Order: sequence, then structure tokens, then C-alpha cells
Amino acid sequence: MTIVYNLSGNERGAVNAAGTVKSLGHSDICTDEVLSDALALLGNHGLGQYVEGWLLETLQVRLTTSVAPEFWTELKQPEGESQERDRASALLKAFRNLLQQLEPFLGGLERLGSWQDESRGGLCGPGARGLTERAFSVIRAILLFSPPLVLQERVLEFYSRTFSVHMSQAGEAVEAEEGTTEHDEGGLCPGCAALLHLCWCQEALEQLQELSHILSRLQLLERVSSEAVTSILHKLIEQRMEQRCRGEYESSFLTDFNDWLGQVLGWLSRVFASKVEEAGSDATPTDGKMGHPTSALLQRWHCHMHQFFCRIYVNMRIEELFSIIRDFPESIPAIEDLKFCLERTNQRQQLLASLKSAFETRLLHPGVHTSDILTVYISAIKALRELDPSMVILQVACQPIRKYLRTREDTVRQIVGSLTGDAEGCSDLANELSRADPVTLETQDSEDEGSDPEDWTPDPTDALADKTGSKRRSSDIISLLVSIYGSKEIFINEYKTVLADRLLHQLNYNTAREIRNVELLKLRFGESHMHYCEVMLKDVADSRRINTNIREEESRLPVEEQATLPLSAMIISSEFWPQLKEEKMELPAVASKAMEDYTHRFEKLKAMRTLRWKPHLGSVTLDVELEDRTIANLTVTPIHAAIILHFQDKGTWTLEELSGVLGVPQEMVRRKLALWQQQGVLREEAGGRYVVQETSSCRERSDRGVMLIESDEEGDSNTATQSEQREEKLQLFWAYIQAMLTNLESMTLERIHSMLRMFVAAGPGVTEMDVNELQAFLQRKVRAHQLIVSTGVYRLPKTTQ
Amino acid sequence: MASQNMDPAAAASTAALKGSETSGSVSKGSVSKRLQQELMTLMVSGDKGISAFPESDNLFKWIGTIDGAQGTVYEGLRYKLSLEFPSGYPYNAPRVKFITACFHPNVDENGFICLDILKDKWSALYDVRSILLSIQSLLGEPNNDSPMNSAAAELWDDQEAFKAHLHATYKK
Repeated sequence: MTIVYNLSGNERGAVNAAGTVKSLGHSDICTDEVLSDALALLGNHGLGQYVEGWLLETLQVRLTTSVAPEFWTELKQPEGESQERDRASALLKAFRNLLQQLEPFLGGLERLGSWQDESRGGLCGPGARGLTERAFSVIRAILLFSPPLVLQERVLEFYSRTFSVHMSQAGEAVEAEEGTTEHDEGGLCPGCAALLHLCWCQEALEQLQELSHILSRLQLLERVSSEAVTSILHKLIEQRMEQRCRGEYESSFLTDFNDWLGQVLGWLSRVFASKVEEAGSDATPTDGKMGHPTSALLQRWHCHMHQFFCRIYVNMRIEELFSIIRDFPESIPAIEDLKFCLERTNQRQQLLASLKSAFETRLLHPGVHTSDILTVYISAIKALRELDPSMVILQVACQPIRKYLRTREDTVRQIVGSLTGDAEGCSDLANELSRADPVTLETQDSEDEGSDPEDWTPDPTDALADKTGSKRRSSDIISLLVSIYGSKEIFINEYKTVLADRLLHQLNYNTAREIRNVELLKLRFGESHMHYCEVMLKDVADSRRINTNIREEESRLPVEEQATLPLSAMIISSEFWPQLKEEKMELPAVASKAMEDYTHRFEKLKAMRTLRWKPHLGSVTLDVELEDRTIANLTVTPIHAAIILHFQDKGTWTLEELSGVLGVPQEMVRRKLALWQQQGVLREEAGGRYVVQETSSCRERSDRGVMLIESDEEGDSNTATQSEQREEKLQLFWAYIQAMLTNLESMTLERIHSMLRMFVAAGPGVTEMDVNELQAFLQRKVRAHQLIVSTGVYRLPKTTQ
Repeated sequence: MASQNMDPAAAASTAALKGSETSGSVSKGSVSKRLQQELMTLMVSGDKGISAFPESDNLFKWIGTIDGAQGTVYEGLRYKLSLEFPSGYPYNAPRVKFITACFHPNVDENGFICLDILKDKWSALYDVRSILLSIQSLLGEPNNDSPMNSAAAELWDDQEAFKAHLHATYKK
């Protein structure tokens, strides 16, 4: 016995006594009296205080030398290809032995502790609670200092099994489908996955109970099982979520999962079951940790589980957020679930980053049509304002979309198109526009607009730190879209263009729908901004009236003076309409005569005004009478009509001749001739001569009746495109810049910019140019050698001086 | 013509208010507008050889540039002018003078120009563009009857000598 090394040699008695005390660990034959005597003896020698230390020391040595190695070998016992069932019993056996080995120590310590509590025999010390605490620390420290993986594996396996047993029993009804499928596959028990007659479900549950009991007795329960339980829960929640929720956005899973988690909790209570029993039966004050009510423990696990669930759910949904947004509003349940879970986890940053990159990789590349980007953006607005009422996610995540849209040329046109319900498949905006509660787009600086200061909530930390406060973070779809470009002028201009296009395309004076749109837009943008559009609509109405007037006047003329060409005009005020495309062409005499007459009548009707015709924008309805057939009611462009009209006087024309009389490039004439060739009216002969096909030799060709509508038309917009307008604007700027540099010699970028700002009269369409844009423009000019820059000062090159 | 040279607003208000200050400030806005418009016209017209631009943020003081017209002795020379617009513009003529010294029968050594449309023949119908064009043509066709620079007027008949002297004395 060299254990008590701090005893000196002349104190043999004490050693003996110590031996006696130790015997208390070996068997329970020793009665209380024997022990008391031994204690008294030790006390007499003044050694009472060492008992405690010695006992713990013994425990420690015992553990290190025999108990722990024994435990590990036992655990590894069924080596290799063993049955799961065997491994389970081996696990249990190992723990059983462990408890058996340690039980005497624990008993002894408890007794010693209670003596200390009673201060029997002059003993003093930390008492039962303290002692057992220490013993358990020792056990934990030695046994689990670096546990081989095998323990974790075994425990995990065992728990997983009991889990599935439990779930299959508890959820027989709910999980019916799972059970049946497995039953079908060769009669396996859903719980233990063994053949039915070999089912060891019950056994497993009993083993679980015993194991839990042992572990809790050794206070190892949480140490040994927490990790396994956690990973099982993780795995299973994930698994279940993969099975049930992935790709499925149209129903809510929260309640479903809550029920399921309830069942899982049942299993957890089995895992931690023994504590319940001990707390119930053995509620002695010596029971160290038993102060913890089991319900609290389970409560904790429940919280954990919930947290796992939320985290896993959020992770999955973050991955899928793009699809969820795309499927909005069908995906509302998923959004609501996500919102619920996101509030409980701290994953907003992750969500933002992931969504942003999803947008960038899946949406914002040249392969996606602008209207699709807009559709997704609109869905995103709707979805994210559900998800995050503070709009911060919306604002941050959609930043790349907005930036990207700015680089697309047709964005404005698309938006305006869908606002007015022209764009196919995208009626969202039109609906949005006709909603009764338009939010004014003006910057609302109404700070104190009825909002209670008590209701104020700070912005989430991930909000963009810009000057626009939460007040201005709008969720109004139209405002958001319009603000992509920062100003509504661009949209109004674009709308003007679209409106002009439509009015000029129809040429039927029917404006009911446009009036409605203009009225709706007025609600949004304010009366003053829509003024031009109003004038345009009024022009159309006036045109109709003037036309009727002039027609009436004509009809009163004697028959021989009546116009050969019934002409109606769309009279527009050039100041208010967007710039129209210019195209030169010589009209046939009959047409120009009709126009002249019309102009005269108009001048009579409206003194001091005259008409400037844009013949290429009109349309002509005509009948072509040939020898054997008539093509009636053909509506073509004026140039087509002019071409065919020339064939009326002369049967054969060459390309050059036609180009000459029409004043139009040959290439253009050739393209326009295609229509008549398709109609079978003209034929191209050798030498580039076109002749009228009076009799249709190939009837089937013309009889196909397929009106090949001008496939040759390049873009059918009548108004100058945005980029053309822009080019024009730049040209104007360049004139100003040249002038100022000619006269003022040299200037800095800032000065040029401020001069432009000051002196370029803001006509319609001339929007401001920001410094960067200007710098880029000047840089281009420098590259083109039209400008010289040195040390930040621009000047014109000498050659132009 | 004479009636056009009257500022109707100014005339009316002086009659009513006996030359009170208000008329000036009221008309100032419209003058700015007119000048702005003229600048625009000038920019859009894109005439070669003439150009002008406000000197600073003051719209009432411009710098003009005239290139000597082709075929005249002034070809290849560039002249800077200053234009100052009175608050009564366009009813009152702007004050125009050469900044670059100009050897010319109708221009004195201080740059003052003797041109009828800048004096008694001024009309509100003229604008910066027409002034600059007039001065440009004056360079090639001086009025030698009333010279301000008699040396130049005398030398004018001998174009070769005039050109030699002109280019010798031209200082940018």
C-alpha cells in the first residue's frame, strides 16, 4: 500500500486503518459500526482529513489502471463484422461493468460525504454533494479525456436505432407511409430494420432505458450522449427536410415539423429518461445534480432542436431563395416559414450574400431578356417585402439588379411597356398602376406624418448606410422601378415615345385606352409632368375633328374638283411630340397634290398655321387591279404605295430609275420591292428590271394568301430611339464644349461641367449629365484627338484653331 | 426700326414709375433667357469661324472668337472679342470690342469698333451671331470713309503691304 505516500513510516496504525477503510470499498459486509470504529481510530491519529483524499486517489488509480482500459476493450469487443444488435449489447455491457466497478467507490464516497455532513468523528469536508461532484469529475476526466472514436460511433449507432424504433412506434399513424414501404421490402421491421421475426425493437428500447440509467448514475449522460443526440437530430432534421421541403414552396411546413419535433421529444425523454425516475424515486438531498428538473432539461433540448430546425430550414431556403422568388406568389408559404425561422437565427448576412450572388449568376447576364429580369425583380420586391418588412433585404439584395438594369438599353421601354399593359405576359405593373392608392413619387419629407415615435424601430444593422432613411425605403413597385434611373423624367419621356408610337401606329384616332393610361400616370407622376402627353392626346382628338371638317368641305365641292385621293391627316404639334424619324422621299404627284389641297384647307381653318407633312409615317390602303385579278384593301406604307403607283404609268422600271424618282437609295427600293414581289404583282427580270405581272403565271404563289408582312422593316418605331436622342444630346453638349474652349482657351473638368449646367438650356430631352459621364465623354473626344488634356485641363488641339 | 429699339416694358414702366428700379430686375430675367436662347442658337448653328461663350457664370459678359475669313488678308488670324450686354439688351446694343489687337481701318488701338449696327443702326432683331458675322465681314470689307485707324485705311489699298504689316504686328 504505497498509495498514501504522504504518511510517514512510524504511523503504521494509520496505514492499517487506511486498509480497513479501503475494505469498505470492496464489500458491504462491513457494518456501520466497523467503519465508525475505523474512522474513530483514524481520527485519533489526526488522520481523518486524509480519508477523503485517499478515497479519491484510489478511485483515480483504479480507473486509470484497470477500469478504463477494461471498459474500452469491452466496448471494442465484437470486432469486425459483428451484428448491430451485438454491438448494442456490447455497448450496454461495457457500461454495465463500468458502473459495477465504480459503484463501490460511489457508495463509499456518498457514505463518507454524509458523515462529513453530520460531522461524525470530527470529519469535515465538502460533504456528500461536493464529494460526489469530485468523484464524477475524476471519472469524466479519466474516462473521457480522449475517448476513442469507437465510443462515439457505438453510441451514435445505438441512439439512431432507438430513435427509429421510437419514431416508428410513436408515429405509426403519422408515418404510415414510411412504414408500409419498408414492410413491403422483404418484411423488415420499420424500427430495427431487421427481419420481422428477429425484431429487437423492444429489446433496444429496454437497453436504451438501462443505458440511460447507467449513464445518469455516472453523470455521464450529457457528456456521452449530447454529441450523438445532436448529430442525430441534425442529420434527421436535414434528411426529413430534404425529403419533404426541398423544391416545395407551396405549403407551410412549420406545424408539420412542430408535430414531428414533438415526437422526437418523446425519444429524447427516453434518452434522458432515467433522470425522470431518479428525480421521482430518489429525491434525496444527496443527489447532486438532481436539482435539475428533467422537464427543464427536455425544455432545453426542445429549444436546441428548434434552433437546429430553424437553422437547417433557413440554410436550405437560402439556397433556394431565387427559385422561391421566381415562384412568387405561389411560394408565399415558404416565404412565411423562412421569415419565421430567419427571425430566430442570425443568418441575414448569409441570406443577403447568397441571394445577391444568385441574382448575379442566374439573372444578370446577357442571356436573360430584360423583361424576365424585370419580372424577377418585381417578384423579388413582392417576396422580400413579405420576408422583411423593413425592406432592408430588398434594398441590399436588389442593388445589383438595379445597377444591371441601368446598363440595359431597353429597360425603360420595357417598364413603360408593361406599365401600359403592352408587354406580353407581364401584367403586374399594369395592375399595380391601376391600384387605387398611388404613392406619390415625390420625396416625402413628411417626417412627422402621424408616426408615433414609440413605434420607431431601428434599421437592421445590415441596412445600407446611405442618406435615405428607412422612411424612404419604399416598397412600392412602381416607385422602385422608376427610381432605378433616379429620375422620373426619363420614364415620362419614354412613355411619351411609346405613346407617340402607338398613336402614330394606329392612325385611327382611338385614344380611349391611352387616355386611361395617361390619367393613371398623372396620379403617379403629377399633372405637370404628363402635360406633353395630354397635348398629344388632344392633338389626336383635334385631328379627328379637323379631318371631318375638311372632308365635309371636300364633299360639298363639285364632283370634278373632288380629291382623287381621300386623305386624312394626323396633325401633331411638333413642339410637344418626341422627335420623329426623318426620311426623305419624293411622293407621286397625285399624293403631293392631295396634301397641298389639304394644307390649303387647313390653313383656311386655322389661320396662321400650316402643315409640315411627314409622308413616310403614314399608311396607304389601296387596291391593285391587274388584268386577271384584283388585290383589294391592301394596307402598305407610303413608300410601297409610291412604288406601285409608278408602275401604273409605266410597266417596267429599273432600280436606278425608281430610286431616281423616289429620291430614295436603291438598296431601300430593292427591299421595298420585295413586298410586291411576294404579292406576285411585280417580277424581277434580267438586268435589274422590274415588270408588272399582269397575269399571274404562278397562281398558287399569290393564292397562298400569306401576307408576308414586311419582314424587312427595321424596328417599327416611328420615333427616334433613345440612343439616337442621346447621341443628339451629346452632340449639343459637344458644340457647347467646343465653343467654351474656343473662347476661354482651357478649362478643368469641373468648370466645364458647371458651365454646361449653367448654360445648356434645358429643353425637353436634355437631361443633365453628371460629372463622370462628362469625363467619359471628354475622354472619348481626347482619344479621337478632338481634345487635348494635360494636368487636368482640357483644351482644343491647335489644328482646329 | 426705331420702334423696335424701344424696350416696351421699360418704356411703359418708366412712364408709370418714373424710372424706378423695378423694371431692371424684372427685365433681367427675360434678358438672361434671351441670352441663353442666343447661346443655344449659336451652338446649334455651328457656323465656322465665329464663336462666343459666356466668360464665367455671368451671362452678361461673353468672349467671342472670330477667324479671319478665307480670301481676305485676315485669313489664318484669330481674334478675341469681348461682348458686354446691357440690362436693356436687346433693346440696347451690346458693347463689343477687340481683345486681340486688330490692325484694321475701323478698329482703334483700344479695340473699339466702328460699326453701324453696334451704334445707331442697332436693332433688337440682331443677335450675337449676326454681330459676329458682321464683324467677320467687316474685317474683309472695311469702311474706309470714316476710318478710326487712318494708317490702316491708307495702307488698305496696297493689300500685299497691308497683309505683311498685319501679320508682322499680329500678336495673339
